Amino acid sequence: MDELGHQGQTRVDIRGLWVRFGAVAAVRGIDLTAGAGRATALLGRNGAGKSTTMRVLAGVIPPTEGYVVVDGIDVSRDPLAVKRLTGYCPDVGGLVPRATPWEHLQLAARLRRLENWESRAHDLLERFDLGDAAHRVTSGFSHGMGRRLSVVLATFHDPSVLLLDEPFDGVDPLGVEATLEVIADARARGAAVLVSTHLRDLAMQSCENALVLRGGSSVAELRAHELVGEEGAGVYRALLD
Amino acid sequence: MSTALSWTELRSSHSDLGSLLAFRRSGLTDTSRRRMRVAGAVVLLLTVAAIVAPAYLGGPLPRERGGQLLALLPSMCLGFLVLSAFTAVASAGGREVLPRDQAVAFPVSTTTDHLGALILAPLNIAWMAQAWTLLGVTAYAAGPDRLWAYELPILLWVLVATVLAQVIGWIAEGVRRGPHGIATLRAVVVLLVLGTSILLMTHQLTSALDRSPTNLLLDMVLDGQTGRWLPWAGGVGVLVVLGLVAAVLGALPARWALHRPMREELRLESGRHQARTMPRSDFMMMLRIDRAAIWRSVPLRRGLMVLALMPGAVALAGDLEWQMLTILPGLVASGGALLFGVNTWCLDGRGALWRDSLPVSPRVVFASRAVVLLEVLLCTAAATLILAAVRAGRPTTPEVVALICSTLVVSVQVVAAGMRWSIARPFSVDLRSARATPAPPVVMAGYSARLALVTTVTGLIFSGLATVEDVRYSVALTVILLIWSCWRLERSAQRWQDPVVRSRVIATVAG
Repeated sequence: MDELGHQGQTRVDIRGLWVRFGAVAAVRGIDLTAGAGRATALLGRNGAGKSTTMRVLAGVIPPTEGYVVVDGIDVSRDPLAVKRLTGYCPDVGGLVPRATPWEHLQLAARLRRLENWESRAHDLLERFDLGDAAHRVTSGFSHGMGRRLSVVLATFHDPSVLLLDEPFDGVDPLGVEATLEVIADARARGAAVLVSTHLRDLAMQSCENALVLRGGSSVAELRAHELVGEEGAGVYRALLD
Repeated sequence: MSTALSWTELRSSHSDLGSLLAFRRSGLTDTSRRRMRVAGAVVLLLTVAAIVAPAYLGGPLPRERGGQLLALLPSMCLGFLVLSAFTAVASAGGREVLPRDQAVAFPVSTTTDHLGALILAPLNIAWMAQAWTLLGVTAYAAGPDRLWAYELPILLWVLVATVLAQVIGWIAEGVRRGPHGIATLRAVVVLLVLGTSILLMTHQLTSALDRSPTNLLLDMVLDGQTGRWLPWAGGVGVLVVLGLVAAVLGALPARWALHRPMREELRLESGRHQARTMPRSDFMMMLRIDRAAIWRSVPLRRGLMVLALMPGAVALAGDLEWQMLTILPGLVASGGALLFGVNTWCLDGRGALWRDSLPVSPRVVFASRAVVLLEVLLCTAAATLILAAVRAGRPTTPEVVALICSTLVVSVQVVAAGMRWSIARPFSVDLRSARATPAPPVVMAGYSARLALVTTVTGLIFSGLATVEDVRYSVALTVILLIWSCWRLERSAQRWQDPVVRSRVIATVAG
C-alpha cells in the first residue's frame, strides 16, 4: 500500500521559525515535524501563531528566520515548488468572491497540471454537499458552504501536505464528517496533515498528536489521547494560561 | 413603515456621524494624518486662489469676454447640478462613511448614512474642479469690487446643488432597488437623452437653457456686484433655506431607498455561470477569473457602462472637435482606474490567500491583472470616442494619430499608476455594494486628483500635437511616454515578485 511506502518519511520540517510583521513577531521560534500518513493539530488561542505558521507552509508568507522544508524543498528557496506540494484551506474566506466553485476547481486544475480532474471534482463537491452550487458565484455562499468549498479546494489535487486552517469553523455535522473523511483519506495515501483549530475535540478526533502554541511559541507537544475528555480539557486550559 | 423624521433623530444622526468619522480617523497613521492636513490646506488654498486670483489678476475692467462668461454662468450652474446628480446616481445614492460589511456591527441609521454621503460628496476632483471653475469664472467676469457679495450666492449654490443632487441620487437608488427598477431607470435615461437630442436637433437648447431657474443666480451675482442689497439678501436667504430643507428632507428618500432590497446585487450573487472549456494557458485562465471578478460586480459593471457612455454623450451634445477629443480617454481611464484599478488586488477579496497558494509565477498573476485593467480602460475609451466622433466631422490624419496615441499613452499611464498604488496601499474592500469604492473616500480624492492632473496634461499635449501636420511628433512622444510608463510598470512587477511585499498585500486585501 502507498501508506506503507511513505511511513516514516518527514513531510514537514520546521526549525526555529520566526515570522515578523514590522515590530510584531507573530511566530517566535517554532519547531515542528510532521511525517507522512500522520495528522497534527495546531492548537492555541487567537494570535498564537497557528495561521501564520500555516501560511508559511503554504508559501504565502515568507519566513523571517528559520528552516522550513516541505517534502525536502526549502520554502524560502522555492515557494512555487512548495505550492505544488501543498493544499491549503485558509482561515479567512479562501474563495474568490465572484467566481463559481467550478471555476475555482478549473483554475486549480490548470495551474496544478491535473488531467481528467472533472470526475474527482464532481465527487468532492457531492461529498461536501456542494453539487447543486457548483456553478453559483461564491459571494452568495453561507459561511459554512465557503468553508466546505475551501476544504475541497485544498484536497482536490491529493497534496502530499494538507494544510487545513479552521476547517470546522461554522460547518454543519455533515460537513464535519466529510472533512474528517478527507483527513483520513489524506493520511491513508501518505500525506502529512496539519489542522489548525479551536475545536479541541474535533482536532483530537482527526489527529494523533497536537502542538500547542502560545504567543507565537510552542509550549507543548502532546499525543491526542492526552487532550481528550475532561482531563484533556484541563491540561489544554492550563497550557493556554 | 413610518416616514416621519424627528428632530431627535436628526440630532442623534449628527452625533453618530461624528462618531463614525472619528472611528475612521482613528485608523489613520501619523503619515496619513499629515497627508490629510496637507491635502486639506492645498484644497483651501486652491479655493481661495480660484476666487481671488481671477478677480485681482484678470486685467483691466471690463474684462475681455466678461459679459459672455456671465451670460454662460446660469448654464454652468445648471451643469454643476446635473453632474453632481449624475455622480450621486452613479454611486447608488452616495459614498459610505463606513463600508457596508463593517457597518453591520453598528446601529447606523439611514439618516446618518445620508448625512455621511453629503459630507463625502465633495471628496471628488470632478466636484472640486467644477466648483473652482464656477467661482473663478464669476470672479474673473465681475472683478475685485464686492467680491464676497457676488461670490456668496455661487458658493451657496455649490452647496445647495450638492444637496439637491444627493436627494436625486437617493430617489434614483430607491427606484433602482424596486421591481423593474433597472428597466425604469434605463427608460428615464433614454427619455432624457431623447429630449436633449430633440433640443439639439431643433436648435432650441440655448433658449431652453435661457429659461433655466439658475438665471436667478446671475441676478444675485449682479445684485451683489452693484450693491442692490435687498434682492441680494432675499436670494441668499432662499438659497440657505432651500439647502437646509433639502438636506433635512433628503433623509426621507434615503430611508426609502436604503430599506429596499438590493435586487441587482442579490441577483448577481445568486447567479449561475455554466462551465466553459479549459483555457489554453495559465495566463488565459487567470484572465478569465479576473474578468469575471469585474463583470459580475454591480459597482464595476455599472461604473464601466457609465464611463463608456456618459463622457461620449456629453461630447456628442457639446459638439466637441477632434483635437479636443484627446482629453476624453484620460477622463475615462482615470474613472476606470478609480472603480477598482487603484486597489486592483481587492478583486480577489478573501480569496487572495487561496489564489496566492496556487503554483503560478507571480509575474503571470501581475500580468493578468495589468492586462485586464488595460483592456477595460481601452474598451471604455473606445466606446466613448465612437460616440464622441459622431458629430465631430471628418478628422485629419494628425488628429486621428494624436487621438490614438493619447488613448494608448493615458491608458498605460493609468495602469502603471494603478498597479503601483495597488501594491503600495492595499485595502480590504468588498465590492459587492454599488456604493463601494476600492479605497477610503479621502484616499480616493487624492488618487482622482493625481490621475486627473496627469491624464489631462497628457491629453492637452496631444490636443496641441493634433494641430501639427507632421504625425511623427505624436508618435515620438507616444514612444517616450510608453517607455516611461512600462518602466514604472516593470518596477511594480518586480515589487510584486518580492514575497514579503506580496504577502503584505495579500494579507491586507484578504482581511
